[in-house]
This record gives sequence, structure tokens and C-alpha cells, in this order.
Amino acid sequence: MRKVLVTIGMFRWLVASTLLLACEPIVNTFNEVEEAVYYQAAEIITPPETADTLMVMNWNIKFGGGDLNFWFDCYGDRVLMTEEEVLTNLDSLVEKIRQVDPDIILLQEVDVEAKRVAYVDQMQYLLDHTDLNYGVYISEWDTQFIASDGIGRMDGEGNGILSRWPFIEAKRIALPLRTDQDALTQYFYIRRGLLTAMVELPGYDNFHVLTIHAAAFSQDGTKKKHIDIFNEELDKIDATGGLFVAGGDLNTIPPGSQKLHDFKDSICEEEEFRGDDYQEETEWLTGLYESYHPAISLSDYQADNALYFSHSTNPRNGFTRKLDYLFTNSAWVTGSGYTHQEIVSVERALSDHAPVSAQLVLP
Amino acid sequence: MNTFFRRVTVGAILFALICPVVPADNAPWSTGTAYTLPAGRWEKGLFQPLRYGQTERLEWATHPVLNLVVPNLRFKVAYRDFKDWRLATRHGFHYPTPLLRLVRRPGIGGLISPESDIPDIPHILAARSELLATRVLSPALWLTCKGGVSVALRTGELDERTTIDLPIVFPRMALFLHGYQLNLGMDLLADFPGRWAIWTDVDLLMIPGAEESFSLEHKGLAIWSRSERFQVLIGYKLVYGAYPDYPRARTQWHLLPLLDLQWARQRKTR
Repeated sequence: MRKVLVTIGMFRWLVASTLLLACEPIVNTFNEVEEAVYYQAAEIITPPETADTLMVMNWNIKFGGGDLNFWFDCYGDRVLMTEEEVLTNLDSLVEKIRQVDPDIILLQEVDVEAKRVAYVDQMQYLLDHTDLNYGVYISEWDTQFIASDGIGRMDGEGNGILSRWPFIEAKRIALPLRTDQDALTQYFYIRRGLLTAMVELPGYDNFHVLTIHAAAFSQDGTKKKHIDIFNEELDKIDATGGLFVAGGDLNTIPPGSQKLHDFKDSICEEEEFRGDDYQEETEWLTGLYESYHPAISLSDYQADNALYFSHSTNPRNGFTRKLDYLFTNSAWVTGSGYTHQEIVSVERALSDHAPVSAQLVLP
Repeated sequence: MNTFFRRVTVGAILFALICPVVPADNAPWSTGTAYTLPAGRWEKGLFQPLRYGQTERLEWATHPVLNLVVPNLRFKVAYRDFKDWRLATRHGFHYPTPLLRLVRRPGIGGLISPESDIPDIPHILAARSELLATRVLSPALWLTCKGGVSVALRTGELDERTTIDLPIVFPRMALFLHGYQLNLGMDLLADFPGRWAIWTDVDLLMIPGAEESFSLEHKGLAIWSRSERFQVLIGYKLVYGAYPDYPRARTQWHLLPLLDLQWARQRKTR
């Protein structure tokens, strides 16, 4: 009798407790606004108490994929990296970051818990292997399992910011979903977000850092909506007297770009992965350029587009377009803006995007 | 509310004890015990295997549909009772290679990466042997303890990326990677008078020495038997297991729904 009672009691307890503990959605659909994930390096290096300028860097790191030919670029069929490949590629990124030595770095396409990167938490890895101390992160693709192409578990493709100083008020602002996909694809697809945070920089109580990765392959104007929301957030900060540095992979080209379509590196024939016709987008960034200060000025870019190209789907053959940006409402040290095309050589490429860096003037 | 539930539970158990169900030498439904199906009886579920009692001591089982992609066969042999325990051993094999090759594909349905960097999936033959011991604690309560060992033989290397990192699935695929696995478990069947029963179990799959070394699985099922020819099973499966991660394995809970319908027939025997 006692055994039966204990058994039934345990059974009930197990059901109740597991229903509370174990429910996890297949896809994280994210709230409109939610708190970002905070990171900290294993070892904190005391940051400077004062600074007149900050070295700021932006880099889409292609989840540490280096120059491996992934299926979505149509150059190869790679899907899952080995742990050794991931760590080797991350070490190359670390080497470059240490060389530029930024005070703040904005990152796109960072994976933290994904089978394709052998489950390496790239935010933590970069923090632990550079002189940066703190990080904030938002995921853009958090799915228990993607039953397509062997992708499997995915929590990544996200945006991160690393800094010497701590962050506060870091949040994820959800960006509109693509509407040119069927419901099932949309449910399991990337959900873009804008990462915004404040850095506790000594002497500055209103210093914001924002990063975005706008929709890449949308055919329905979603990318434009993302850029507009990014612009609006910057306007809000500016209107309240805040200081900001913002950037990311906007997935579109600057005004005055000479090459607008038919890029030689874009070889995908599938409509899903074609995102290389910018003829309708030539003015999408005009507002940002007019309102704020770009790390690479428009006049410099228009004088020689190729010097500032930052992306190619086949980077070993050279970059073919500029998609990566840094803006501020303060100022940049004149001539400090630089596009690090040297991350690519005929032997290797650290990413399919080149970092952009510049020296921010602190008012 | 708690008092109400307690009274209902106690009442139901008392009723069960007053109206005992006398256990036979065989169990009419196969419910994880050491008892085999009666000779000539077969049963089949939507998800459970087809089982057949060949003799009073021998039961065969296979998943007929799954056989198309995972040829599989299992049999259970019951032995003489040892003190108050009914003993049986269960042995089986399966050949998962066709299924693994089928789901290694590009596009939707691709559970395993088709990339050329990952070598072909080798031929894999997996076998498991288990000892089951069932004791009838009361006429309405059956306890079964079990333990076993599984081995997997391969014709070549299996890449570590060739896993499907899902609950239930991953621990079973870990066997193919590591070549061996131990399992321990306990089943409890509470039989109520009339049509209801509760079947609950705990199973531990272990690979000593491996990083993703365990999966603890618990099942709770309410069984409604319309007759000895049809029953409905509804419940849940709770899994707490270790999965691949960096720098070391992570553990995760999963709660999954369970639903099955089972049909049975009795062939006349001499």
C-alpha cells in the first residue's frame, strides 16, 4: 500500500515538475524587445580610466567560417565545421583583432551554440583570447533543430559587441521578418534584431553602441525596413543628446556606387540566395550619410570604390562591394577610417567580409 | 485541491487492492515486463513494434515499417522464476545504415549533413542484450528491473558530425560512434480495476568514458484498454541527457508527448 502511494505521489510530482522545467520552444521567436545576453572574459584586463579617442572596429566574421566554401555561397557544399577548423579560424580572427587592438568591436554572424561551429561559443572565445573584457550578444537564429541540409542545432548568426568597459541596458530590438517566404520557412528562418547597449565609459553616461545585420536576400523591401529602423534608433539617441557609435553589415551599397549588379562572385542561381542587385537601393543609405559621420567618407568612397569594398562571396579573388559600415554622431579622427582588405590573400581569407575600423573622437 | 487529489488517489488504489487482478504466467499486453505474450498472440501499435508470442516463453518483436530502412528484430525469452522474480532476457539487433544514408541529404529532411567533407556512413550493425526481472509487488503493481549492454560494429569510421543531436535519437546514435553502451532501467506497472493502468519507467543509457555519456529517460503513460484487443496509451517522455558542446558536453531537459494505439489478436493454438 505504502509503495503504491509513494509511486503515485512520485508520478504526480514528476509530471508537475517536468511540465514546469522542461518546456522549451522549438524556435525562439523572440519578443519585440528583450534583454541581450551579457558576457565577461575569463580574465579582466583593467581598462583605461580616461581616453580622448576610441578605436572602433566592425566585422562580420562569418561565424568563423574563414574561407571554407559553404553551400549557401554556391562555391561548395560545406555545412558543418570540425572543432579544429573553428578554433583555427577563430585564432586567425583573434590575431587580427589583437593587431587592430580595438576598444570596442561590433560583430555580426557570431554563433554561440550551433552544430555548424562544433558548438563553440564564439563570443566567449573572442573575449577570452583578446584584450576585450565585456560582451553583449543577441541571437538571430535560435532553433532547437533545423531539419535541412544537416544544419541541426542553431543558436547564432547573431550580433555582438565587445568592449574594454562594461555594458548596461543591452537589449534586442526585433526587426521585421521577411514576408517573401512561405510560413514554414519563415518560422525556421533567421530573425534579425538590432543590438543596442550603453558602455560604461568613464566620464560618459550616455554612450551608446549599436549593431545590425540587415536582411541579405529579401526581395520584399525588408532590408529597407531594417535600415530605416536602425536610422530611427540613431535619431532617437541623437535627439536626447546621447553619443553613439553604430555599425554593421547593412547588406547594401553606399550612394555613388559604380557597380550595382551582376557581381562576378555571385554565382548562386537559386532565387533564395540571390542578393546582388542593388539598382533599387542606391539611395537607401543617403539618410545615414547625411545625418551622421561615416568612418569612410562618401567622397573618399566615391573617389575609388574598390579601396573600400568589404565583401565578396569568393573573397580570395578580391572584394567586390562595400556592405559594412561605421557611423557616429561625434567625429572620427581624420583619415583613420580603414577597410582591412588585407584579411584576404590568395592563400586564405579570414571571413567573407573585411573589417572596417576608425578612431572615434570623444567629445 | 491537493487534499481532493490525495483522496481520489487513495480511493483509486484501495479500490484496486479490493478488486485484484490476478497475474497470469503471461501478460496480455507487452508492457516492459519479463513476461512474454501468450502463445499465438500478436500485438501492434502505431509506434510500438509488432510483437508475437511464439510459445509461452518466447516472444518476437520487430518494427515492420521501419524494417524498410532499419532492418530490426528482437526476441524475449522467459525463464523459470527465481524466488519471487520472473526472469527473461531480451536480445535484438538493428542495421541503421540505410536510414542514416537516407536522411543524409541536402534540403528539407536533411538531418545529417551531405557535405563531401564527411565520409560516407559505413555499414553499422548494432545489437543489444538485456536481462529483465519482474516482481509482482501486489496483484496490481508490477515492478521490472532491467540491465543490458549494446554493441555496434562498423565497417569504417563514423565522423563525429554524423549525429542527430536530438533527445532520444542522439543517445542511440552515440552507440554507433563509441561502439558500446550500457543500459539500466526500472518499469512500474500499476493496474487498476476496469480499463485503466499506469505505466511508468526510468531508463539510463550510459557510455562510460565518453563525453556525452548519459541519457536519463523517464516515461509516464496512462493506458486505457477497451479490451484485450485494443488499448490507447497517452503520456509523456522526459529526457535529461548530455549532448555535444564545447569545451565539454552540455546537459538538457526535454519533455515530449507520447501517444500510441495498440491492437492485438489471439491466434488459436492447440
